[in-house]
Amino acid sequence: MFEPKRLHPISAVINFVKGLKDALFPLVALFFLNGGFSGEIEWIPLTVTSAILLFILVGGIVRWLRFTYRMEEGELRIEYGLFIRKKRYIPIERIQSLDFSEGIFHRPFQLVKVSVETAGSGNDGAEAELTAIHKQEAEELEEMIAQYKQDPSISEGDEVTEQETAESVSTPLYEMRMKEIILMAITSGGAGVVLSGVGVFFSQVMDALPLGAIYQEIVDWIQIGVLIVAFTAILVLAIAYVISIVLTLFRYANFRVMIQDDDLIITRGWLEKKQTTIPINRIQGLRIDENIIRQPLGYASVTIISAGGAIMQGDENQLRLLPFIKKAEISAVMQRILEDYTIDVEFSRPPRRALPRYIVRQSWLFWIAVIPVSIYFFPLGLLSILVALGATALGWLAYYDAGWNLTGKQLTLRSRSILKQTFIMKKHRIQSAYKKQTILQKRIELSHIQVALKSGAGGQFAECNYLREDTVDQLMDWYQPDPKKVTE
Amino acid sequence: MNYEPARQISRRALRLWRISGLIQFGITLIISIGLLVAILIWDWPSFILWIAAGVLILELVGMVWLFPSLKWRSWRYEVTEQDIELQQGIFWITKTLVPMVRVQHVDTEQGPLLRKFRLSTISISTAATVHKIPALDEREAEELRRSISSLARVAEDDV
Repeated sequence: MFEPKRLHPISAVINFVKGLKDALFPLVALFFLNGGFSGEIEWIPLTVTSAILLFILVGGIVRWLRFTYRMEEGELRIEYGLFIRKKRYIPIERIQSLDFSEGIFHRPFQLVKVSVETAGSGNDGAEAELTAIHKQEAEELEEMIAQYKQDPSISEGDEVTEQETAESVSTPLYEMRMKEIILMAITSGGAGVVLSGVGVFFSQVMDALPLGAIYQEIVDWIQIGVLIVAFTAILVLAIAYVISIVLTLFRYANFRVMIQDDDLIITRGWLEKKQTTIPINRIQGLRIDENIIRQPLGYASVTIISAGGAIMQGDENQLRLLPFIKKAEISAVMQRILEDYTIDVEFSRPPRRALPRYIVRQSWLFWIAVIPVSIYFFPLGLLSILVALGATALGWLAYYDAGWNLTGKQLTLRSRSILKQTFIMKKHRIQSAYKKQTILQKRIELSHIQVALKSGAGGQFAECNYLREDTVDQLMDWYQPDPKKVTE
Repeated sequence: MNYEPARQISRRALRLWRISGLIQFGITLIISIGLLVAILIWDWPSFILWIAAGVLILELVGMVWLFPSLKWRSWRYEVTEQDIELQQGIFWITKTLVPMVRVQHVDTEQGPLLRKFRLSTISISTAATVHKIPALDEREAEELRRSISSLARVAEDDV
């Protein structure tokens, strides 16, 4: 482990494919410039195309040749760079976790991609990435990091014992059932995502295609009739929906949660296997989400709020601890995974006088919009009243869903804007607390509470609106570390 | 926790905010004069001038006279060994509580105008949030920064 090591040669192939993917659109454009399928060959674009291909290929290989990693003096040392040689030394104590994932290239050779996560790598991806190394090497690496963290004095010669690696295979604490994955896929908003993806694809293709040549065809198409266009649109929608369901199935198949030493490990995926490691002492709190489609079915999701790690960026899905679960089962499952969080608590609710405020807060904008919309788009604009009524109903729901609970060192806040969210957090994880009220609310003794949790590189806020002022004071007193002042 | 934090920010902040209000007023004034010229030369509709006049008066009354004193009166803070409390807002009143153990670092900053008035803004960062106290006396801010950072160091805790 101490002499510089190379990645598996398959990395060169992966680099090549990645390079191809990045250069896809210029290449497609060149292809059409090249005469497309017309058979005539123009030499200049062809030369340019082959030069680019060659460059990507050689670049991929050289990048693999130049990339070395080693463990030395308590640091993970990586040296790389195609033109400019770069060295990146990461102190082991700063490494928070190693995440493993396997793509289609990795599977046949027992390889994994390793992402090294540090506290600072919140914004721009993982601190370092080993594109492909043997599973066994990856496990050794992980073991060495764990050992070093326990006792930094271990000298460099010590070998990792086999027995320890064998021991750390643990049984899953939670597994997703197939039925749940299917139901989740059906009720997911993923269809929208795929649709926009299809849209982007078409717009890109349209940009790349020589429009003049196919313009006539498009005109013919339109003449066939709007009916076919509409049919196609629906078909595209349906296909997008099916694709999103299949993607979700692939992504969440074999979903498992385990605890290994002091880490929570989430693995999932069928073709591409993903593993996320979350050190338990970095967990800042839990969030239970119930959206308006899944709530009537009695399902919710549980997300971990964790401090640090590149896993946070963009894809919060990776921190879904229980992506889709019957609400009634959450408590029992969490008891096995993180027993110091109490899920089933009695919620206290905001006072009756807060109800009109909840309704006004959710719907005033819609009611104001109704007037001009109804006038300008009469009579169809009157339908906007329905939207405003919906917002009013949401305000009503928001009042009934709001709640708080204080049990020992745990604060639970529940609120709804559209999504119903329950935050469960420990006193010593709350970064700061806010009591907010307007002068008008002060008169009738209502007030908001908001608390901040660390989440990745930034923060997340849990809140509950229009509680009685003395309730909020009580919560602030609970959070107040200085006991002298509470008695005042 | 139904009480006000004890300390107020520097009285000089009042004059500072009035002056920066005046500067804004000045900018709007220049724009209004530009508009007046445009109306005279290109025959722009004259109601624009009425709007500009309205904005000018609002700015003079609001930004220069009313707002600074309300803001100054509403700002309160208190720092003890255990926590930092801030209270601010004229219509929306927000009270913030930051335990000392959660403080990650403290910065003071000072623009040219603040330097002129020997004032400085202090910002207190936790792992998730940043809290600012505007326009403290320079020396007081310096002292506060030192005491907060030493208190925060004593109260070490994992994130």
